[in-house]
Amino acid sequence: MSQKIKNNIIILTLIIVVIGSIQYLVFKIQDIYAIYNLNSLLYSPLLTLIVSLFLFLLQLKTGERLKKRLLLILSIMAIVLTILVGFYIVEIQPVKFVLNFHKASNILKNLFAPNFSLFVPMLNALAQTIYLALMATVLAIPFAFFLSFFAARNLMSKRPIPNMVYYIVRTLSTFTRSIEAIVWAIIFTVWVGIGPFAGMLALMVHSIASLVKLYSEQIENIDHGPVEAMQATGAGTLQIWIFAVVPQILSPFLAFTIYRWDINIRMATIVGFVGGGGIGQALQQQQQLLKWSNVSIIMLMIAITVWVMDIMSAKLREYLMRK
Amino acid sequence: MSSSNDIILEIKDLNKIYPSNVHALKNVKLSIKRGEFVILLGLSGSGKSTLLRCINRLIEPSSGSILFYDEDITQLNLKDLRKTRRSIGMIFQEFNLIPNFSAKMNVMTGRLGYLSTRKSISMIANKEINEKADNNLDKVGLLDKKKQKAKTLSGGQKQRVAIARALMQEPEILLADEPVASLDPATADSVMRYLGKLNKEENITIICSLHFLSLARKYGSRVVALKDGELVFDGLPVEITNEKFKQIYGENAEEIDIK
Repeated sequence: MSQKIKNNIIILTLIIVVIGSIQYLVFKIQDIYAIYNLNSLLYSPLLTLIVSLFLFLLQLKTGERLKKRLLLILSIMAIVLTILVGFYIVEIQPVKFVLNFHKASNILKNLFAPNFSLFVPMLNALAQTIYLALMATVLAIPFAFFLSFFAARNLMSKRPIPNMVYYIVRTLSTFTRSIEAIVWAIIFTVWVGIGPFAGMLALMVHSIASLVKLYSEQIENIDHGPVEAMQATGAGTLQIWIFAVVPQILSPFLAFTIYRWDINIRMATIVGFVGGGGIGQALQQQQQLLKWSNVSIIMLMIAITVWVMDIMSAKLREYLMRK
Repeated sequence: MSSSNDIILEIKDLNKIYPSNVHALKNVKLSIKRGEFVILLGLSGSGKSTLLRCINRLIEPSSGSILFYDEDITQLNLKDLRKTRRSIGMIFQEFNLIPNFSAKMNVMTGRLGYLSTRKSISMIANKEINEKADNNLDKVGLLDKKKQKAKTLSGGQKQRVAIARALMQEPEILLADEPVASLDPATADSVMRYLGKLNKEENITIICSLHFLSLARKYGSRVVALKDGELVFDGLPVEITNEKFKQIYGENAEEIDIK
């Protein structure tokens, strides 16, 4: 046996040992905590086994034709098995879907019969949502604008301090962004109480993090030429940022900000669900009361608002980008 | 003035090795007298741009010294470097203007090296700087275009705005990195003519990299050639014979004549 095959066997054994121990651990956890829904995890070792066999065969040198056929069979098996396991894990039951329709028919019937008498009273909540999104965006701009310069690789040199600042701002922004706005909303409803202020804070924090990313990418895409030209005149760092960087990024910044407002209006509804105020909160209340025709009118109002905002922001962005 | 024999720039044993291990400049020695119009020749990648950018330290040299009068540019701290950069203007192949600024605003940014950040923000209201900008735009024949956005100007006009911007620095040396390489032959000649005028009338020392020998002969008072980072020729424009030309540009090169 060649060294390569020996190596492969060792790797394969190792993988099997690791998978075995994972399997053992899963059983242990099930025993200890009396949780019996971890079965899905058992299927992943099975897949791993097939994949590792697959990788093993890939490295064999002899028996080209046999190898190819085996590879084909194994890959088909792996794909089919993955999809089958998927059905099991997600608990997909087409029969239930068809036969249990009557359970939802009542809701659906009412959803198609919106209660229009609620339209005028709900305008207030809708306005709150739009303002909430607007304020979150507007208040996020100065923070994001300031921070984005420190998150742009081309402005932060590799010297220790700028480099450290770059990584701190980047990491913070990525971390903040990875926490969904709805989680921020839960935090802020505890912090400042239920209402639009909590919702606005949640969207603002999330917007700052996203805008820092979008803004700093724009800064990284600027033409370096003018920066070089201003360096050559003897301008300082801050002057270069003001006169060579800012003029190049203003209109893309505006376009991204409008885009962000658009997203915030959609998210404002979601944060309303956990007590962030506005029409989302009204929607959640009506849903809890099982007043489906009230839910229906609110959903319709949200859909129209989002639709109008979408068109408006697309037009505005197009105009700005052309400029 | 009898100072025309003064040495303004003395480059000694200048080396530049990029992180990718490319040895872009090899022991370059060059002394330039005040009022010279030096043409830098050489193939793309021969080190012309690197040499020009080492002079104002847009690129940090690896070793060697560059004396501007008796001050070693390579040893300056950032603050002093900024001060010295004022005296060394630069123009570029791609003009490097801010496209959304007016021609005049672009010219005014040439003054940044003299201003504090706070003062530079209110620069637009500064009467003295406004006058200087108008004056310099007039020198390049573009006073009537001062309100036009830079992106709407033609290539030649852009380069003239860039020259006016460099003049705001009141430079003693003007570095020109292939200033006419993006321009058509007729426009190229007119831009070179402006450089020639500044050289003669304002006694600005010019170091200009070029691709066209005909322009070098017409405007240069001295020609320096680089090949693979080494100085291979230093002399008068008329001294570049066919043989020398082939030595600089390789055996297969033919001189293209533009008028």
